[in-house]
Amino acid sequence: MDSGAGRDSGKTKLKLLSRALLAVGLAALAAIFIRLRGSGGTPPHGGGWRELSATDLEPVDKK
Amino acid sequence: MRAILVGLGVVGARSARQLLSSNSISELVVFSHRAAGADAKVAALGGAGVVRPEVLSDASFSEALRGASVVLLAAPGLRFWHAEESVRAGVPVVSVSDDPGEVRLLLDLDGEASRKGVAVAVGAGMVPGLSCLLTAWAASSMDALSEVHVASLGTGGPACARRHHAALREPVEEWRDGAWERKVASSGRELVWFPEQAAADCYRINRPDTLLIARAFPGLRFATTRAAASRRDRLTSWLPMLRPPHPEGTVGAVRVEVRGLRGGAAETVVVGAGGRPALLAGAVAAAMAARAASGQLRAGAGGLASLVESPGEVLADLSERGVRLVTFEGATITPG
Repeated sequence: MDSGAGRDSGKTKLKLLSRALLAVGLAALAAIFIRLRGSGGTPPHGGGWRELSATDLEPVDKK
Repeated sequence: MRAILVGLGVVGARSARQLLSSNSISELVVFSHRAAGADAKVAALGGAGVVRPEVLSDASFSEALRGASVVLLAAPGLRFWHAEESVRAGVPVVSVSDDPGEVRLLLDLDGEASRKGVAVAVGAGMVPGLSCLLTAWAASSMDALSEVHVASLGTGGPACARRHHAALREPVEEWRDGAWERKVASSGRELVWFPEQAAADCYRINRPDTLLIARAFPGLRFATTRAAASRRDRLTSWLPMLRPPHPEGTVGAVRVEVRGLRGGAAETVVVGAGGRPALLAGAVAAAMAARAASGQLRAGAGGLASLVESPGEVLADLSERGVRLVTFEGATITPG
């Protein structure tokens, strides 16, 4: 037969465990939410940045 | 040319230096909210004998407007009255604000500015600002414009960082199929390759680029704005800033993707620039102030894509000021 003090200690541990599980669950949900929103992108497979020259910037009709 | 600068933060100081370097300024009246520290900041600008520091008040501002060629508003938290009073006095206004609420207020000055024949250049920084100029330049080579997608990386001074923090939680208006559609901020992740930088995940942000670009190009179907943000940025955007923002952002870039038709075929142009955000913003603001002062902008209130006749000329000017403008070439880009 358990004593009253033992029952209290068990309840406290259970409460702590359930709180920890809840915290882990919420953190996981938040991580999934942040991770899954958006679709990312496809990296360019070729090409690169080229500096615009003064000629590029001259007004030309439909270059 | 006698110019008035309101605000001596990071972007304001960069704009002032750019204006002074052009040697076209006979006097630059610099207004700041506090006298403390203003003298040291003004001294750091150089331009001895040309720069006059003043503490901002309604009376001193109205007094300075007499004989002024242009007013450059670079203080965070716009006081609409300054813009209104300037237009009333027939003095063109250039604002670097990237707050959509402030931008809408300034755009309301369109009627009055048109009547007075002066320009109110709205969003004359990096984003919006350089983004609008790059869009206008890319669009000028197309027969019809259908989509504009702006992305940015980095922030200028502390005020800009605070605005970026707030803009990541505010509802975002996107221009989709010719109508405004409300989206959740910090959503719509897209991996963006910036010039001179590594790729960064970008998310929807409440910035006025979309509004200004949609106004400038009435036939446009899609316009979006994204900014690079980390998971921490997005998660903590709902909280007050956990630590003070950096004095000045050192890394920045803007990338604009413009899609349309040229000669009946689909065309995509990707242009951008890299550098310190405050430096880019200061260069754009100064270039626009010089143009506004000499009457080279269309009358009325609008973004740079609406007011600038020849965006290539302004970009060439920026290039001479040290802004490295680039275009992405050599890869087929498929619409996402």
